[in-house]
Amino acid sequence: MTDFIKRLMRSPQGAIGTIIVLLVLVAVAFGPYLAPHDPEAMSILARFKGPSADFLLGTDQYGRDIFSRLMIGARSTVIMAVVATLIGTVVGALVGVTSAFLGGRADEVIMRTVDAVMSIPSLLFALIIVNLLGSSDINALLAVSIAFAPGMARISRAVALSARKQDFVSAAIARGEKPNFIVLSEMLPNTVAPIIVEMTIRVSFAIMLFATLSFLGLGAQPPSEEWGLMVSEARRYMHISSWILVWPSLAIALVAIGFNLLGDGLRDVLNPKT
Amino acid sequence: MSASYLTKRVALIFYTLLIVSLIVFAMTQILPADAAVMMLGENATEEALAALREQMGLNNPVWTQYLHWIAGVFQGDFGTSLRTGLSVGPVMVEALSRSLLLALFSICLMLFIAVPLGILAAVRRGKIVDMAVSLISYVGVSLPEFVTATLALLFLADRWKLLPPTGYVPLTENFWDGVAHLIMPAAVISIILVAHVSRMVRSEMVDVLHTDYIRAARLKGLSSRQVLWGHALRNALLPTITIVALDVGYLLGGVIVVEEIFAIPGIGRQLIIAIQARDLPSIQAGVLIMAATYCVVNFIADILYSLLDKRIQYD
Amino acid sequence: MLETTRRRFLLGTAFVAASATLSLSMPAFAQAPVKGGTLRVAIDQATSVLNPLLVRVNPEYMLAELLYSGLTRLKVDMSPEADLAESWSANEELTEWTFILRKGVKFHDGSALTAADVVASYKAILNPDTASPGRKNVGPIEDVVAKDELTVVFKLSGPYADMPVATAYMNAKIVPAAIIESGLDKLSSEAVGTGPFKLVSFEPDRQVVVERNPDYYDPERPYLDKVVLNVYPDSTAESSALIAGEIDLISTLDPTEYMRLDGTDGVDLQRVASGQFCNVNMRCDVKPFDDPRVRQALALTVDREAMIQFVTEGFGTAGNDTPINNAYRFFSEQPARKPDIAKAKQLLADAGYADGIKITLVASEKPALRTQLAVALREMAKPAGFDIEVQTMPHATYLDQVWKKGNFYVGFYNMQPTEDGIFKLLYTSDAAWNETRWDNSDFDKAVNAARVTADEATRAKLYAEAQKLQYEGVPSIIPTFFDVLGAKRTWVAAYDIHPRASVFRFDHAWLTDKAPTRS
Repeated sequence: MTDFIKRLMRSPQGAIGTIIVLLVLVAVAFGPYLAPHDPEAMSILARFKGPSADFLLGTDQYGRDIFSRLMIGARSTVIMAVVATLIGTVVGALVGVTSAFLGGRADEVIMRTVDAVMSIPSLLFALIIVNLLGSSDINALLAVSIAFAPGMARISRAVALSARKQDFVSAAIARGEKPNFIVLSEMLPNTVAPIIVEMTIRVSFAIMLFATLSFLGLGAQPPSEEWGLMVSEARRYMHISSWILVWPSLAIALVAIGFNLLGDGLRDVLNPKT
Repeated sequence: MSASYLTKRVALIFYTLLIVSLIVFAMTQILPADAAVMMLGENATEEALAALREQMGLNNPVWTQYLHWIAGVFQGDFGTSLRTGLSVGPVMVEALSRSLLLALFSICLMLFIAVPLGILAAVRRGKIVDMAVSLISYVGVSLPEFVTATLALLFLADRWKLLPPTGYVPLTENFWDGVAHLIMPAAVISIILVAHVSRMVRSEMVDVLHTDYIRAARLKGLSSRQVLWGHALRNALLPTITIVALDVGYLLGGVIVVEEIFAIPGIGRQLIIAIQARDLPSIQAGVLIMAATYCVVNFIADILYSLLDKRIQYD
Repeated sequence: MLETTRRRFLLGTAFVAASATLSLSMPAFAQAPVKGGTLRVAIDQATSVLNPLLVRVNPEYMLAELLYSGLTRLKVDMSPEADLAESWSANEELTEWTFILRKGVKFHDGSALTAADVVASYKAILNPDTASPGRKNVGPIEDVVAKDELTVVFKLSGPYADMPVATAYMNAKIVPAAIIESGLDKLSSEAVGTGPFKLVSFEPDRQVVVERNPDYYDPERPYLDKVVLNVYPDSTAESSALIAGEIDLISTLDPTEYMRLDGTDGVDLQRVASGQFCNVNMRCDVKPFDDPRVRQALALTVDREAMIQFVTEGFGTAGNDTPINNAYRFFSEQPARKPDIAKAKQLLADAGYADGIKITLVASEKPALRTQLAVALREMAKPAGFDIEVQTMPHATYLDQVWKKGNFYVGFYNMQPTEDGIFKLLYTSDAAWNETRWDNSDFDKAVNAARVTADEATRAKLYAEAQKLQYEGVPSIIPTFFDVLGAKRTWVAAYDIHPRASVFRFDHAWLTDKAPTRS
């Protein structure tokens, strides 16, 4: 494990990515304690203020402290993205690995169906689902998870297929173990590494997808501190104070870059061939 | 490429569209919207609604409705919009043609930027240039399109007045004006793709440059320029075709946001309007057409790939 | 002076319209209008509906007004002027109104306009099967008959003083009787009107083009060759297009975009005080708002001066929970409601909600100020014990699922031409859209009495009574009124923004020689 971390920190991507993601996790864990103001407290006299000692990053259109809102919002923004990716990955991986294990006709049918679902752009898919279920953050989470599942299924299948050819699976089959057991205990763990890499990178996609849903009015509901919603609300006020737009955009960009770098770093460590 | 492969590939497209049509039909059935109310509006009487439901076949079993719809689709009839009362098919097809133009423009713009960037990074692997290219690609994938679009509007149009801000001018009406209007939306769409594709080109190129094939070429005494352009590039670009084709799915999603902001009347914008207005026939038609586009593009990419690369054998 | 002109308009026996046409031009453009040119107008949503009897949002009203005419129409001061009708008169009791049509008016298909077309159009509007949103807004019509080729007589169910205003309602357009007979469906894809412009192309989500109607009843107007309506879903992009000169005019502008355009060369900003407002509707027949004390408590949490800033950036005036402000003729000022959290808490406790109330407030996204109002209200009401969760939704979804149905949501309404118009639209128990289900017989009585009274002083008293009752009963909270905002390029002349926000009068507009030439 320490060896793994050492190798991860040796690559610039891995090192920078790890640091950014750790910083973000600190905000997620301790955000509410770090926030100096009530994120929902409005003040008619303190609207559109630039950064100052009292308001570190300035205030927004309701005179709310942007820094506090970002700190509180880290939780919903990042956790939502991670959870959505996780659910999508688990569902996708189960489908993909099962398909690879079954092989033959079943594999063909499952994968062609997955391909069919993939032909609907994920943003469109998410839009329709949220519209079906009504706009709220939980529904947006579901929508993004479902939209991610087919892609993950495809990747896990490819990985599982190569794992299947390896000896330990044949050994397990030879031992006469049950198919469920083989999928869960032998194939899945050995396909985990590449999936983790893909997942890390997808977290940043998820953050963008959530932000876009908020922009289209189908994500988190105001006065939520979700960063995507903050950005899309700020667009209207950017001519009065550009800080409102700048800070949450930077926050989103930072998280996205962080997870991307970490993903690349992990790839280098887990799969030294490329 | 054999005939059986082609048949199989075409059959697959139909299978895909069948699945998509089932999904989208099921979804629109769950949507809590009464098509008759959508069509007649808030002020309709109960009798008028009942009559319309009967006429539209909304009282029939779901399967009958589905078959009826699919039969219509095969005859090119996607039904009537609940919102405007106009026929859905022609509206969607015209919208698709504009989106395709935008998508094609974006792909060209993207390749124009991404391929040289990728090659440069591969050739100067580990140097400053390489780092700069990967920095660009990291930043490129880190901002949602609606933010980049807004920034583009503010700076390129309002502040520097380099490009016309919004709208859509048909190329047949005024070619250069039409192109000028496409640049900004296309640029916004391509940013994320540039990041993705330049990385792919780089890694393919790095791989190819290390193969025996290139070493042999070098040993034959070919100049490094000849090696690079003549041999390495061709082999590195082949996998890129597949990646670009797969990115079309992303591209079609991207046009949704970009069309909304830049007021481009493409299929993405039509779909947003349809989804918000719960205009079921338009949603069904739009999704099906988008999926079909994706399939066709991937089909073309496959064929291109096999034509360009004689080594690949399809059975 | 306004009063006398108005009375003359309303009750005068034979008023001929020609004199009123050019009074609106601004001094800077006092020179004679020039013919020609294309006006490009930005609208913020698709014109989904083309049939004028069914239009329901501002861009659709705009299109209907370009293509069709009514008997009368509203001037910028809200008084009616002659359109297809040349003159009108009423009997002594105000129960029967006679409208005389212009001679020689032609529909776009060449057929002549007759009284039969007017009768058929009004009958279609009043027919529930047509499902016209204007069915209850065109006056208390019991019967409409054609007395001769050019004379239409409306028989009303009771006396009604505002009839010539009611005939200016946006849905009260005249379409050919022949089309009504053969089926109104035809009008969803083509336009056969008597309006100043004819339909060239109709692409509801992108662009609608109309061109000058050479047979328009006024040989002078319209001045423009063409009007092009372009749909801009995003307001940032819309303003950018105006700055770049790609469009000439934005019909409705957000306060933030107004501030952004302020100071831009070549752009005129337009602003007019109006009775346009947002109301927070509370269903008066469902818990918890069935208890007036709960509604009063919520009203007492609202800081109206702060609301003006949060919601309108200062481009508005404070409201007092009645839909009438000083833009209306019979406005009666009520004591300004100031935030009083202690009293609000007390009222809530008295009503049995000492522990507070948890409730969801729905706000559509268009216009954005609905959401802003909801978010600000949530924060203001918190200390009094209201736990409000805000839910936003796309406008179409809101119209489908919440509007006129929901328990607690933010409405948005244009100014109506008269007090009767707004009360009968929203607040009397028989109102066209009585969304709050408020049922106050004294209020109904006052509004109904005012509607049949010709005497100004008595009407003023009755409307003052109605406003007081609504102020006390609080069926909905009306925290602010909005100024109507717009912007145009300086080369567009003779276009004034209308406080009604749904009237445009583009037939008076023209382009100066500074305008770029376009095909």
